[in-house]
Amino acid sequence: MLKVAIVGCGKIADFHAMQIQRIAGCEIVGVCDREPLMAKQLFERFPVKAYFTDLAELLETARPDVVHITTPAESHFDVARFCLEHGCHVYVEKPFTLYAEQAERLVNVAESKRVKLTVGHNDQFSQVARRMRALVQSGYLGGAPVHIESYYTYDLGDPSYARALLGDENHWVRRLPGKLLQNVISHGIARIAEFMTSDSPHVIAHGFVSSLLKQINEREIVDELRVIISEEQGATAYFTFSSQMKPPMHLLRLYGPKNGLILDQDHEILIRLRGQKFKSYADMFIPPALFAKQHLGNLFTNVRLFLGRDFHMDSGMKYLIESFYRSIREDSPVPIPYREILLTAKIMDAIFEQVAVARTQNGLALKDSPISSGMPAVGIQS
Amino acid sequence: MSSPATDIAKQEGAFPQREAFIVGPDDRILVTGASGFIGARVLQNLFDRGFHNLVCFVRPSSDLSEIEAMIERRAPNVRIEVRKGNLLSREDCEAATKDAAVIYHLAAGTGEKSFPDAFLNSVVATRNLIEASLRFASLKRFVLVSSFAVYSNCDKPNGRILDESCPIDEHPELRGEAYCFAKVRQEQLVAEYGKNCGIPFVVVRPGSVYGKKGDITGRVGIAAFGPFLHLGGSNNIPFTYVDNCADAIVLAGLVKGVDGEAFNVVDDDLPSSRQFLRLYKKNARRFKSIYIPHALSYALCYLWEKYSKWSKGQLPPVFNRRRWHTEWKKTRYSNAKLKTKLGWTPKVATSEGMRRYIETFRRDGRYA
Repeated sequence: MLKVAIVGCGKIADFHAMQIQRIAGCEIVGVCDREPLMAKQLFERFPVKAYFTDLAELLETARPDVVHITTPAESHFDVARFCLEHGCHVYVEKPFTLYAEQAERLVNVAESKRVKLTVGHNDQFSQVARRMRALVQSGYLGGAPVHIESYYTYDLGDPSYARALLGDENHWVRRLPGKLLQNVISHGIARIAEFMTSDSPHVIAHGFVSSLLKQINEREIVDELRVIISEEQGATAYFTFSSQMKPPMHLLRLYGPKNGLILDQDHEILIRLRGQKFKSYADMFIPPALFAKQHLGNLFTNVRLFLGRDFHMDSGMKYLIESFYRSIREDSPVPIPYREILLTAKIMDAIFEQVAVARTQNGLALKDSPISSGMPAVGIQS
Repeated sequence: MSSPATDIAKQEGAFPQREAFIVGPDDRILVTGASGFIGARVLQNLFDRGFHNLVCFVRPSSDLSEIEAMIERRAPNVRIEVRKGNLLSREDCEAATKDAAVIYHLAAGTGEKSFPDAFLNSVVATRNLIEASLRFASLKRFVLVSSFAVYSNCDKPNGRILDESCPIDEHPELRGEAYCFAKVRQEQLVAEYGKNCGIPFVVVRPGSVYGKKGDITGRVGIAAFGPFLHLGGSNNIPFTYVDNCADAIVLAGLVKGVDGEAFNVVDDDLPSSRQFLRLYKKNARRFKSIYIPHALSYALCYLWEKYSKWSKGQLPPVFNRRRWHTEWKKTRYSNAKLKTKLGWTPKVATSEGMRRYIETFRRDGRYA
């Protein structure tokens, strides 16, 4: 029986607890939060053996094999390092760390302690994402991706909601180096990192404050981002983050030398884009029919999964946790290679650095940016 | 300039005498959530009663227009202090509770679907507020504004009266509603502080509060699946007009001899769900609704609950039998204790309250 602990008993901890209890062969031996009331409420609602307010006591008393870290992002590094150094395998919620340099240090500690480490990029393990990965691995694209487009939107909703979230000068999001972007974009960036081969792609980022936030006198939170990522010998990628685009979307487009793929996360749809054209007018009649057939196929797949009780909203998280636990039991490779975790962190560092520089030049400095805090953006051209 | 509440009070002559109160007009009174739907009316009510040392605790992002209007109208001797802050900050709580004789705690995590979020903003925030108030020896009453959501209503025969003697849900986590869980735990926390630290407290549980804001309550029906599903049928809806509710809350903080008590707040002459919906559709906005008989809504809740469990949460357990008992079971309500012990009477009749409610939506072209 794998012994699991959760550190940080806020909103996201609920999702972890829900998925862990669906996985056979594991038990939650303890939950921990500095706020005893929060630790207790999680303990009360899930099959958990004990609750703690001190991390060292949790590790000492409950002796977990795996620790899930669901604390606010600014504490991820310290908590993860502590757990790794105590010989625990660690699952860190996204964003992995505040800086790429911290991510590298965590990976080094994990390797030196011979324990495993992963990050909560669970969107990459949804049903549809797994189907897409299988197709890519089968060679459907006709080679390595030539170009990738990742769209990630975040609905700030109506102005009153934005006011509640962003009108607070002490909101924890403001303490992150990349502010709102840091808390949200890692899923969309990780999808690109999965298909990049270089460790130091070129990054060009442009971030700005949307008109909605400007209307409520918000000047500090960047909620619109456009990024170009390119490799010398490999793929190029566009990343778009928006709080204003409609419809809301979490979309990945992969274009290979032969065919392409579209993954629509929101609707769990995977569409194959055929590289070859039909002749003459046939190219205007046959492809729509083929697309219709594919959409119908997606519908049947989703219904089949639902009826089979395998279509939970967080199925990606369950799959990732299950895969991580399997890698621990069998001492097999982790579900997300460390190279991808580090590349995601590096690309994010480069983005935040450029956005900060541009805004500094415009007299709108992002406080605690990697530059102003003295923390370097590591190993990436920008 | 007098406010509508003052006018009503003058007409009705209904404010109890100050001799029956635990505090005087100069005592410091704190209202959390003071810019909210009910909080603003509580503040107005205190203001109209002549209390002139008021502290409003609001979130930094709150809309302060109503409070600012009140400050504009105040007499020179009236002190209305606005404190922006976060109840999760102990420092903010200390600053707010300093020398407070009465605390009206209305701020809550409403509308949050996440259990931890609702819990944090209700229970942890309340703990911080009480702990902060313990540092000062000034507190004479802590008024917690809770909700009807805390009642289980499971074991009562159909149609019986729901009053303050009815049991609180022992397993609120099974209701599938974060708000219910947070409110039950919040009440328990306050009761523990009352027992262990001698905090003098009163709990006020409003029914469905309506006024110039407010959606159609889920007790009438839901629109989550497309057409409006009318679930209330012939049930009485425990409405309370916002000014009446605010009046009850204020009295709960002032009247002597009610420490440790809980009060349900509902108005007189409650309309049935069907009457309300007919009135609304006739005067405010027309839309299609489908009536779901009680037996059918119970069966659907049962099936949803079972499927949710069988599928290990593929559908979240938001509809279940516990919720049906609380929201859609035929129940009658009593405000007898409120009238007897606090001397409360609904100053705005339900017919007049409904007229104002409907008028707001008709005038603004807004949907409830």
